[in-house]
Amino acid sequence: MNRLIPTAEMTLGPFFPREFGQGANDLTPARGEVIEISGSVIQLDGKRLDNVILEIWQADAQGRFDNPEFVGWGRAATDANGKYSFKTIRPGAPAGRAPHINLLILYSGLMRQLQTVMFFENGADPVLDAVQPVALRERLIAKKRGNAYVFDIRLRGEGETPFFGD
Amino acid sequence: MDTIIEPREPRTQPAGVEPGYPQTEWRWPSQPLQRRPHTRSELSGPQQVLRRLKPVRGDLAGYGEKRAIGQLIHLRTRIVDEDGAPVSGAAVEIWHCNAAGKYIHPNDTHDAPVDPNFYGAARMIAGETGLIELRTIKPGAYPTAGEDRWWRPPHVHFSVWGKVWLSRLVTQMFFPGEPLNEHDAVLNAVRDPGARSRCIARLLPGSEGPDNALVYEYQLVVRGRRAAPGMP
Repeated sequence: MNRLIPTAEMTLGPFFPREFGQGANDLTPARGEVIEISGSVIQLDGKRLDNVILEIWQADAQGRFDNPEFVGWGRAATDANGKYSFKTIRPGAPAGRAPHINLLILYSGLMRQLQTVMFFENGADPVLDAVQPVALRERLIAKKRGNAYVFDIRLRGEGETPFFGD
Repeated sequence: MDTIIEPREPRTQPAGVEPGYPQTEWRWPSQPLQRRPHTRSELSGPQQVLRRLKPVRGDLAGYGEKRAIGQLIHLRTRIVDEDGAPVSGAAVEIWHCNAAGKYIHPNDTHDAPVDPNFYGAARMIAGETGLIELRTIKPGAYPTAGEDRWWRPPHVHFSVWGKVWLSRLVTQMFFPGEPLNEHDAVLNAVRDPGARSRCIARLLPGSEGPDNALVYEYQLVVRGRRAAPGMP
């Protein structure tokens, strides 16, 4: 069968409609432990960026991706202080995986989407274990503060977050 | 798992850092992207994004006294996967500037007129055949802000959800015959000429409908193909 070539990705640009970035960062109510995930998206010079779009995809509390009662997708935009936040539930462990949240980042000047993954703790996971060198893996572990998790994303430069190319 | 995602030919995608687009050097990772195995997590995805995001307008041009300024166009976009199979039910976001090159956005400081009858953003669902039909006006060109400024050719932004998480596509569509296409740092970040030309819509002959709109056809290919039977 002839295979079509996927369309080229291009930058989101600086004018993604504001309203499109709002109103989709709360995945509750849903069965499970309610948590907050927040952080900043930081560029080379340390600046925390405004109006970055982050999207997440996660399992439900049982580790399932096909629960009709739970839409495991959400979107947040960073605010003028460069902060994003999601209210969601802590995902369970999907088969063969540690609990995790997939993240993608869209922004002006990012020519393609950037993909990364947030983990809750440093344990065995085929995706986390694929990250090289090993020392970078801890950058994918969120910092726990009570029921809140902080996950900063450094696009480039010191402490750069590992990103995945698929 | 019925969908597989295979690596892409790099020349059919922007590399990341783009000479002539300074922001890319501040934001694109300096380290090579990591490879990972694909599991259910990456090969599943939201089937009902619209439970979180409400549909928004399917007509950006308006009528009569509320008609937006500009050439009326019907933009007919088909969403397919790498097998060419239509992605029915795909959610799609579309946004573009007005005929004078001005976005409805607080960050757009370009001194160009706002059109009170033009809004510029739509969120729609593809039908059974993967088709999205949008009635709108042709966007204008505009200069970028900041260092190394250049004029962006007329373009339309698309954000598409395919069947799985890794088939998410955010891109821009261009118009045929625009002299600015040749110089655009975004379009020309795609090095492969064929891949670049597939980012340009096709103008159909004639016009259609009671208001004689120009018709542009376009195809978006999201990542993913069906796994052959027996594959893991």
